[in-house]
Amino acid sequence: MLGIAIRVLRRRDMAEEAVHDAFLRVYDNAASFDPARGSAKAWIYTIVRNRALNILRGEARTDLVDDFEPMGIEDEGDDPETIVSRMSDARSLKRCLELLAADRRKLILLAYTHGLTHGEIAGKLGMPLGTVKSWIRRSLISLRECLA
Amino acid sequence: MSNAMTSEDKDLLAAEFAMGLAEGEDAIRAERLLREDDEFARHYARWRERLSEVDATAPAQPASDMLWARIESGLPTAQPVRSTQRAATPSFAEKFAQLWDSLSFWRPAGLVAAMASLVLAIGLGFSMREAARQPVLVAVLMTDANQPGAIVNVHADGRAELVPLGDIPVPAGRALQIWTLWDRVRGPVSVGLSRSARRLDLDVKALPRTIPTQLFEITLEPEAGSPTGRPTGPILMKGNATTAL
Repeated sequence: MLGIAIRVLRRRDMAEEAVHDAFLRVYDNAASFDPARGSAKAWIYTIVRNRALNILRGEARTDLVDDFEPMGIEDEGDDPETIVSRMSDARSLKRCLELLAADRRKLILLAYTHGLTHGEIAGKLGMPLGTVKSWIRRSLISLRECLA
Repeated sequence: MSNAMTSEDKDLLAAEFAMGLAEGEDAIRAERLLREDDEFARHYARWRERLSEVDATAPAQPASDMLWARIESGLPTAQPVRSTQRAATPSFAEKFAQLWDSLSFWRPAGLVAAMASLVLAIGLGFSMREAARQPVLVAVLMTDANQPGAIVNVHADGRAELVPLGDIPVPAGRALQIWTLWDRVRGPVSVGLSRSARRLDLDVKALPRTIPTQLFEITLEPEAGSPTGRPTGPILMKGNATTAL
């Protein structure tokens, strides 16, 4: 849980805040969890992630951008290819991600693990915003077809 | 315009929303659809399920004492710990047991098990500092009433320990015996015996390394242990090992 929040927020204190909030939310909403809709793991991860994204996109945004630049985007362990290699072979998402071109796979994983917006990805990678949007959209469509 | 959305449009928006990439009007529309549109909600849930594979690659991070304390104080844990032997300062296991008591209304067994490994992942900071150990497998032993009664933690170095989540009444002259079933042909093997519910290191050295789905159970036996080497008394609780999240 903390690992997911740290990937997004890059700061331990804020990540702990996100995990704390998420934990209480999991506790409060346990009754509304519907096993027919998906696994408990995905449900819990979603709560942590959404809380971290809200913090990132709320009050913390300006703070983080300052911190974020000098650190660069390739934190140890956060390299997109490393993430793919750590994924379970038993699941089709890994196989489907591997079918994408390397640069598109990187875009998807950067966006997801760091909670970046289209605009931020465009800024980081020096690509036009429209290109980023359409690459991601097309990658998601390919993933959907592959996963179907 | 949202009225004209095809199923594919909805699926794509659900994917972007699950990625955290929906912005502005798209995000507002996605939030509305999530509440109002069953098909969209199903698409979204499916993408969350798929993408949780990426979340699962995040390295485990030890949490600070402060985080654990804050989580604990934020939960409604009014009832005292029902442990018979209390250490001078509350140990991780006791804090865990206390938290667990307040969570015991969680019915779906899958959720209980997921929460267990989640709590253990958070509590990792404690165990790492206390004994440099990290559970790699967790078995949540459930009673007949489908309540979590104890946890078996299996550590990376192969050691296993039993952590009761509350008191287990033991009649005079009787004892709790812990068994594991790693080989159906050989049958259950005793890995521990205790007169009361307490934290216990399990004797698994002579056995092959514990594997996922391996069964652990506790039965009520004579004080000196089962005379036959096999469980003879009633099963109080049992559960299978699963990988810690």
